[in-house]
Amino acid sequence: MNRVAKAATINRYRGLRTLAGQLAVPVLAVVAAFAVGLIAVMAMGVPLGDAIGAFLNGAFGSPYSISASLNRAVALGLVGIGFVVASRAGLTNVGGEGQIAMGGMMATAVCLLPGVADLPAGLSFILPLLAGALAGGLWGALAGVLKVRGGTNEVISTLLLSFIAVWIVYMAVQSEALLRQPMTNSATLPESLPIPPTTQVPLLTGSYASPVTWGLPLAIIIAILVAIVLQKTLFGFQLKAIGLNPVATARAGMSVVVGIVGALFIAGFLGGLAGALMLQGEQYSLKAGFSSGYGFDGLVVGLLARNSISGVIAGALLFGFMRSGGISMEMIAAVPSALVSIIQGLIVVMIAGAAYYAEKRDAR
Amino acid sequence: MTTDLLIVFLASSFRLAVPLLFAACGEYVSERAGIVNMSIEGMMLMGAFGGAIGTAITGSPVLGVGVALLAVLPVAILQSVLTNRLRANQVVTGIGINILVLGLTTLGYRQFFGARSREMIPGFDQWSPPMLGSLPVIGPIFQQAALAYVAVLLIVVIAFVMSRTGIGIVLKAAGDDPHVTAISGSPVMKVRHGAVLFAGLMAGLGGAFLSIAEIHTFTEGMTRGVGYLAIVAVIFGNWRIGRVVGACLMFGAATALQFQLPAFGIHLPNALLIMLPYVLALLAVAGLVGRQTAPRALAQPFWR
Repeated sequence: MNRVAKAATINRYRGLRTLAGQLAVPVLAVVAAFAVGLIAVMAMGVPLGDAIGAFLNGAFGSPYSISASLNRAVALGLVGIGFVVASRAGLTNVGGEGQIAMGGMMATAVCLLPGVADLPAGLSFILPLLAGALAGGLWGALAGVLKVRGGTNEVISTLLLSFIAVWIVYMAVQSEALLRQPMTNSATLPESLPIPPTTQVPLLTGSYASPVTWGLPLAIIIAILVAIVLQKTLFGFQLKAIGLNPVATARAGMSVVVGIVGALFIAGFLGGLAGALMLQGEQYSLKAGFSSGYGFDGLVVGLLARNSISGVIAGALLFGFMRSGGISMEMIAAVPSALVSIIQGLIVVMIAGAAYYAEKRDAR
Repeated sequence: MTTDLLIVFLASSFRLAVPLLFAACGEYVSERAGIVNMSIEGMMLMGAFGGAIGTAITGSPVLGVGVALLAVLPVAILQSVLTNRLRANQVVTGIGINILVLGLTTLGYRQFFGARSREMIPGFDQWSPPMLGSLPVIGPIFQQAALAYVAVLLIVVIAFVMSRTGIGIVLKAAGDDPHVTAISGSPVMKVRHGAVLFAGLMAGLGGAFLSIAEIHTFTEGMTRGVGYLAIVAVIFGNWRIGRVVGACLMFGAATALQFQLPAFGIHLPNALLIMLPYVLALLAVAGLVGRQTAPRALAQPFWR
């Protein structure tokens, strides 16, 4: 068969095949990983019904648990969307954790500024959210600047920046000159003052029995916006072009510098927003290590999605509910929530391992 | 008084650097062959876990180290198959393996020791080389767990193999230009597999040192980023064994300073000292501290 005829035949099947192909790997990986999880539960001698019951109860059992899972999914989803944006430009953002940390810290600092709590028209919580997102964005953009300036690999720089950010937060809550609450006695915890009620992100239902915040609709709007920007705008095209071939992109007259710094800024901005939302919507005071695990989980969500925003939403919901279910499984059925880490790790390893075969098949 | 403090500082700097030395020198070999193992952290954790379990069962730290090496082997093989055979993204698979191992070891620890137990395991005897240990003043520096001297020995062996033998030359060539190396008839794939397994075993030793010689028990996620710090040391050491070792010693000293500075009457935030290695490494990779010359085919999969 000559090349042209072959290409035509391939094109006819490609539409269906790529959709099925794109879904097959993640779905199979998730199913296989959960199967391993179930086997592990049986091996520990815990009745399967108890463990699954506790898991479902923790994830979906009450308005409170559903809200907690959704809030978690919002944070993971925002980091995941950021990962996808960066990955469109061929960049791997491993710095989610640090971007969350910077966002949460800056949001806290602005919430506690005198006067901010009295701002009118919702500005009292919107301003800190924006400040947090901006801080995360600049932290991400820093990696972009290093990349375009000296060719520093963004994987290494975002990872290093993550560690630095986490320890900056630690330092901030250890020092009264920074964000630590005034020490009244020796038992004063190393954390910030609680943020004023007006700076908290309002709850959708208005009731603490189902504390899902306005972060959820915000995240959905952002997901749609980003999907449109990536699909329909020049900037989206520019990112894709850089991801495919930066040299050709520059020759075509598009700025690689703007694309790379911009993509990492957006990734950081969304991570920072996630951190600010975690702080202002759930935790209400800054503690060391508040971002722990969210960055890598968000990265995994972005990775699972294989560059699609709808994939990020599915992955964020999956992991949001999984973590909540895992915590409940540990408390009720005495199955360590570490099992959730095992399942997550297996999913990542399987999907990454299958990526090469998936690409080879698509290219044929 | 001050001399005593200085000696204590030097001794603890070295002791704290040992796990890093093991892991970073293994990672150095692997990166020279062209492969980044983000999973060093997970491999160390598995080594620490295996070491603790092995020592607790057998009562012998030496056998414990053996168990640590056995435990880390499957993890290293998994990483090697993923990167070399399946050509998967090295960063992503490494992070996946770290999450997986964190889950496995936490679960395994709870199953084995029971929740929240802190059973101490027997550690290594202090040992010092003849003559050196009895030197006046600086003698105490050489009072270290026996496993620490294994690190020194292995570093010498690595330095020799990498610069003076055919294996070292082929390995470095595989990391710089695997295709040309393959054309010249050298087994690039085998070398790369071997390099990852070696990095895994070294990380396993580093982890075992942490649990058996240093903490005397296993705690969940006990490596706390030491594995990542090892990768940082390789970068900061500019992929040269001497400088990598120097970076590890410097990071060890930075950690020791946290405990020592108050004794010298200096009060700095701990976080600054913990952050220091990462800041230095960032400056290094940003090209602000000398030129960086990474292996040219670093993190690139190889196939014919």
